[in-house]
Amino acid sequence: MNEMQFLTWVRGQGLDLAVSIFLLGVLWRIFEIYSLGRKKDLAAPRHVAGASGWHTIFRRSLPPEGMMKKSPVTYVGGYIFHIGLAIVVFLFAPHIKLIQSLTGLSWPGLPSQFIDLVAVVTIAAMVVVLFDRINKPVKRYLSTFEDWFTWTLAFLPVLTGWMAVQHLLLPYATMLALHILSVELLLVFLPFTKLFHAFTVFGSRWYIGKINGHKGVAV
Amino acid sequence: MSASLEKGVRVLKEVIDAPIASYFSSCVHCGLCAEACLFYTETGDPKYTPIHKLEPLRRLYEQEYTLLGRLGKMVGLSKPVTDDELEEWKELVYNSCTLCGRCSVVCPVGNDIVYMVRKFREGMSASGHAPEGIIGAVNRTITIGSPMGVKLPAVKAQMKHVEEDHGLPIPLDVEGAEYMVMLSSMEIINFPEYLAAIAKIMHQAGKTWTLCSTAFEATNAGMQIGNSDLAKVLVTRIVDGAEKLKVKTVISPECGHAYTALRWEGANLIGRPFTFKVQHIIEVLGEFQENGLLKTEGFEVDKLTFHDPCQLARRGGVIKQQRNLMNMVAKNFVEMPDAGFMNWCCGGGGGASAIEEGEELRLEAFKKKKSQLDAVKPDRLVTACANCRIVLEEGLEHYQMDIPVVGLTEMIAEHIPKQGD
Amino acid sequence: MAISNDSELKAALHGLSTAQQRQVAARFTESVLSLSADPRVVGAVIAAKRPDITDPELAAMYQAAKTASVESYTQCGKECDWAVQAGHFVSKAATACVQPAEAGASLAWEAAMQARMARMSETIATGEGTENREAEAQYRILEAFLNN
Repeated sequence: MNEMQFLTWVRGQGLDLAVSIFLLGVLWRIFEIYSLGRKKDLAAPRHVAGASGWHTIFRRSLPPEGMMKKSPVTYVGGYIFHIGLAIVVFLFAPHIKLIQSLTGLSWPGLPSQFIDLVAVVTIAAMVVVLFDRINKPVKRYLSTFEDWFTWTLAFLPVLTGWMAVQHLLLPYATMLALHILSVELLLVFLPFTKLFHAFTVFGSRWYIGKINGHKGVAV
Repeated sequence: MSASLEKGVRVLKEVIDAPIASYFSSCVHCGLCAEACLFYTETGDPKYTPIHKLEPLRRLYEQEYTLLGRLGKMVGLSKPVTDDELEEWKELVYNSCTLCGRCSVVCPVGNDIVYMVRKFREGMSASGHAPEGIIGAVNRTITIGSPMGVKLPAVKAQMKHVEEDHGLPIPLDVEGAEYMVMLSSMEIINFPEYLAAIAKIMHQAGKTWTLCSTAFEATNAGMQIGNSDLAKVLVTRIVDGAEKLKVKTVISPECGHAYTALRWEGANLIGRPFTFKVQHIIEVLGEFQENGLLKTEGFEVDKLTFHDPCQLARRGGVIKQQRNLMNMVAKNFVEMPDAGFMNWCCGGGGGASAIEEGEELRLEAFKKKKSQLDAVKPDRLVTACANCRIVLEEGLEHYQMDIPVVGLTEMIAEHIPKQGD
Repeated sequence: MAISNDSELKAALHGLSTAQQRQVAARFTESVLSLSADPRVVGAVIAAKRPDITDPELAAMYQAAKTASVESYTQCGKECDWAVQAGHFVSKAATACVQPAEAGASLAWEAAMQARMARMSETIATGEGTENREAEAQYRILEAFLNN
């Protein structure tokens, strides 16, 4: 297979396969998790403004008091790469074009130099959090193969995408194909690894907010 | 698989619900929960990382409730939960966890780790892996009526003592009283002043109240060990007593877990809403204060600070009341760092203080509370939980800190003007 | 003078100086001292009875008696042995005897109450029930002290 055939495959069949597995996987996992249900809480509730599942979905994105200084790299690194990924994925013109071709939706993108900068910062942040995972005793202790694997799955798309745009290392077509392949791998594994937190974070925060909100505690 | 392990696994499968599934699926191994747990922060040992305390439950969830997990189990690729593993986890789930809930508050993806530990204990106790100390407490609660073996005659002795000391009668089994007051064994045995304080406060407020001879014990050891069946038996005693006496409100004493067990888990344990209100004594005092039924005179002038019992504040939602009450009788009330919602556990709740093997760990974890006190340098420490009081006193004793510990309800009662004023 | 109830007991104690209160407190505690085997508790009572006790000595005794109190609490969830718990209340009474006192402190009344709790714990332990005559014994002790 030459590079053009490779590129054609990842853009066509590969993409179809990956997106299908992703969609089916997401739907299945959501069903698998949330169909377990929850018993109704019969204790008399205490109503306090601001204590609810919805509030927690947003509030939990902020570090609780005293925690930032305990682990600044986790928070700052985490914010940077999550926001960076969102900007690069959703505000880079070629990506918006792709989404438009798949769904019909589109919106204005940001200047490519800015995206380039964000991509570099995101890559740097991801490398920093990787080193933190290796260096910090708790993170190291908790980490399994899945943690290293998912880091790689999330990292390669940003790296290969940036390299493609910069025309680094390999011919553009190949780099682009590798980039698309890395995204497809990410999509395929996302529903079945800790990356699925992208979806369950909303459910988890909502549950904890609701369960504690019942007691009048805003978490 | 042994019969008891089978039972334990079955129980665990039953308690896994959508929240737990969502939580396990969301964990990204960020380790922030460890930074919130005093057992990790004061020992530096990563095995005390809260989410790690749930590892067997997580694997069980995967193997039983996820497609890939079940496939893995079928082809022999999964690691089953064993008796040895659960025995190893006993220390993590009981000795090094007081159900304080700080971990749940800091998890960025919203995992309610304390909720999961509470459920995990169900399986631990069903499979015979609960600590000796708590098993004893539970047995005594079922057979004698109190985890510490306190029987009605001892309660009556206390009543008599209080009547002699203060000249206030203690009502027993009075039908139609507005409040039914519960006590914890700790108070009956160690802090008789608490009952006297209640009597004075109720007398001043002009409220009718009573003890119940069949339901004076608030402590719910079933909840601590993680045995819902037993917890239900204990709650049912209270419910029966309250309904028989037709009281409006049941008052949970200065004991953290008793409040959680009755107020928040009780209705779910018996499967129906209560027909009466449940309030912690501090909530009741707060209400009296707001309604002008609590009148005090004089002030404490030494430097005081307050330790928030975890089950009252962070887990129970009673945070402002204790501060309002402190300000009512103290001129020099200073908050410790992280006071209120984020306060640090005394290290002995959730049954932990009944576990002898865990004492060394508890004393090490106490360094966190010590650091909070070192920052404030109070003359005395006030709190609202009988178990916290003793754990705090032991910790202070161990670190040679001369800071007396007092109960808030007693302190308030000391400032109630003498009778006949 | 005769003392026949708690109001009279309190009134009589109120008129005593701190040094005298210590003496009375020590005597109240002596009445239940057999319920404790802790040498620190015994030491505190002996010290409190010495009229020539110095402040540093009192402080040391107080420290020791407090430690004895803390160590003898019944832990939450542990089986309560009322005989042992009696010892706990004796150590609390002993602590009252040697605690640093501000003017107007009621060391003796506190010791009296703790001593009664100790006696009650003992009678619960022996199954005799909750009635005891410790209060009357305390009236006699105070009368004897005042008459000397």
